[in-house]
Order: sequence, then C-alpha cells, then structure tokens
Amino acid sequence: MFLTFGIDRIDEDAQGAYVFRLLLIPAILLIWPLVIWRWFILETNRDAWPNRHAPPRHAHFWVAIIFAIAIPAVIIAGLSVRQTWPTSFKPQKLSFLMEQSQ
Amino acid sequence: MSEKKAPFFVGYLGVPKALKSFLLKVSLLIFAGFTAGAVLAGATQDDPGQAGFRFDYERQTITAILETKPYPLLYVTESNDRIKAGHTLMLSGQDKTPIMANLASLEANEVKISGVILKRGELDMLQVAGGKRGVEDLKKQSTIPPSEALGKWRLQGEICDGKCLAGAMNPGRGLAHKACANLCLLADIPPVFVSTKPIEGNEYLLVAGPDGGPFPRELYHYVGQFLELEADIEKRGDLLVLIIDPAKIKAVE
Repeated sequence: MFLTFGIDRIDEDAQGAYVFRLLLIPAILLIWPLVIWRWFILETNRDAWPNRHAPPRHAHFWVAIIFAIAIPAVIIAGLSVRQTWPTSFKPQKLSFLMEQSQ
Repeated sequence: MSEKKAPFFVGYLGVPKALKSFLLKVSLLIFAGFTAGAVLAGATQDDPGQAGFRFDYERQTITAILETKPYPLLYVTESNDRIKAGHTLMLSGQDKTPIMANLASLEANEVKISGVILKRGELDMLQVAGGKRGVEDLKKQSTIPPSEALGKWRLQGEICDGKCLAGAMNPGRGLAHKACANLCLLADIPPVFVSTKPIEGNEYLLVAGPDGGPFPRELYHYVGQFLELEADIEKRGDLLVLIIDPAKIKAVE
C-alpha cells in the first residue's frame, strides 16, 4: 500500500518514479512500524520539519564530560576486580594428609 | 565582524598562524594519549608463551590404542621420530569440528591416526586429518593400559580448552577467552587444567567429569576463571587426568 500510493502522497519526488520502489521492499518489511508511523505523521501534518535540522547539541558538552569520566572508570573498575593468577599456590595431596590424620 | 577574523582550520589549506601552536599541542596530546593507552592495554595482558602447530614436523602418522573416555586419547604403541611409544596423546578434529562420533566405535582398537601436532612445552595434541586420511582402523582389539590412581589433590589453576592452549591460539583472559574455550569444549576438544605448579612433573591435566565421562556442561561457567578445586587425579600412560568434583570447585578471589 505504502509503495503503490502512500509514498506518492508524502514525497512528491517519488511521483512518476516506480522502479526504485522495488528496492525499498526489503527495508520496508524490516522497519514497517516506523514507516507507518512516519506516514501517519506526514499525512496529518504533525511533522515539525525544522527539528530535523536542529540536533540536540546542548547536551553534547555534558555527555562528553560524563563519557570522559565513565570510560576510564569502567576500565579501572574492570581491571581492579579481575582475578590474579595464584602463582605461589602449591598443589596439596589430600589423600596423603587424610591417611596421616587417621 | 570579529567572527570573520577568527582563524578557521581547513584540512586541505595551510594551517592559520594563530592555530599552529594549538594544533601542535593537540596532535602531541593525542599521540601521547594513544601511545599510553596502547602500552597500558598491552601491560594488562599475560604473555601467551611459546606454542603452536608444529607444521615443521610435517604430518605425523601414529600407531596406537584408542580410548574414547573422557575424550579421545591415543596410547602410542610404535615410536616414530617425534612421538615415542608409551606417550598418551590427546586428539581434536579440524578447527572446532567434533571428532567423538567418528571414533566412538573404535574403543580399545588399534588404530593408525594421521594429523598435525600442536605443542606447548610438555602439552601436546594431535589435530586429526579430515576424511579417510585421518583414521585407519587396524581391526585389532587391544587392551587399554591400566590407569594409576594418584589420590585426591587440592589445586589452583585454570580450565582451558586443550587445543587453544596447546597452540591453536594464544589463550588470553576474560569473557572472549572463556566464550572461545567453551565453543571448543562443545566441539569435543578436551579441556585441560593448568596448574600453578607441576603435579608429578605435569602442570597440564586432562579434565574429566565426575563419572569419568566428558566435562559436564553445567560446569562450563568455571572455564577461563582462576579456580581452586579438590579432585582425584589418575595417570593414564604419561597423561594426568583430573576427575572433577562439582561440589569442590570455586573461583579464586
């Protein structure tokens, strides 16, 4: 439905072009809920198109700071909890000890 | 107006004078940061030691008695240049290909097996050649040499897959090492316990389940961790076999 007439309604560049629609079939099968949602938004004129060109840059500074702290913290925490090879442990023969204790 | 005069770096044009010092500092800082990161990451890794496929031995053909429990083992009966009679050799298939099903019907038979040797110190293994080149049944039933009980021991060390440890890979640490080892164990590759110190001259022990069969899958989460365990050990030929006791195994702190 979307590829036969829906796409013509929301994208005027698609009008009169048909062959490329076959190429869209696999991806539309994969993300069909997103396609339906976007179709609904565009059909009902709810799309705030300027927002697409205004990424939320105001959060970038704090995200960068948090990542700069969190990444080394995760690495240090991982290294501090990992096991160390018990180099000094000597194998103990228990059956011999048990025989002695009896 | 002041914005127009601000220097702006464009990669394919010359560096603005005002930015040269800043660019140099940032470049040096990034270079030093990545170098330090690489050195620190390298320092956290253990030296994997010397091990590998011994292609320089060329293909080895071994006449031996086959035992299939807990994992396929060869009791070598005829010496050649590389492998002496009396040696016990573990087997694996190509890559992670299971081999047990092909050998199950040959228990206690004399066989001629061809393949490539992997070796790390005293630990060795034969990767059996694929297809009919690999295993020849000599149609002669034999007796598996008796095992010798060495008693119960308390050990510390790590359970690895015997093939990567013997030289197919360089065993590392952590989750990737554990996942790789468990995939190998699923493919009938014998698990090997690496002891902190040698037991009767051997620091590598084949691991068997509590019933003498293969290492149980319920214990795979212990693979790749440093462990303390108590277990019976027996000697089969010159190979030590550790009979795991699920109740007496725990991770070292």
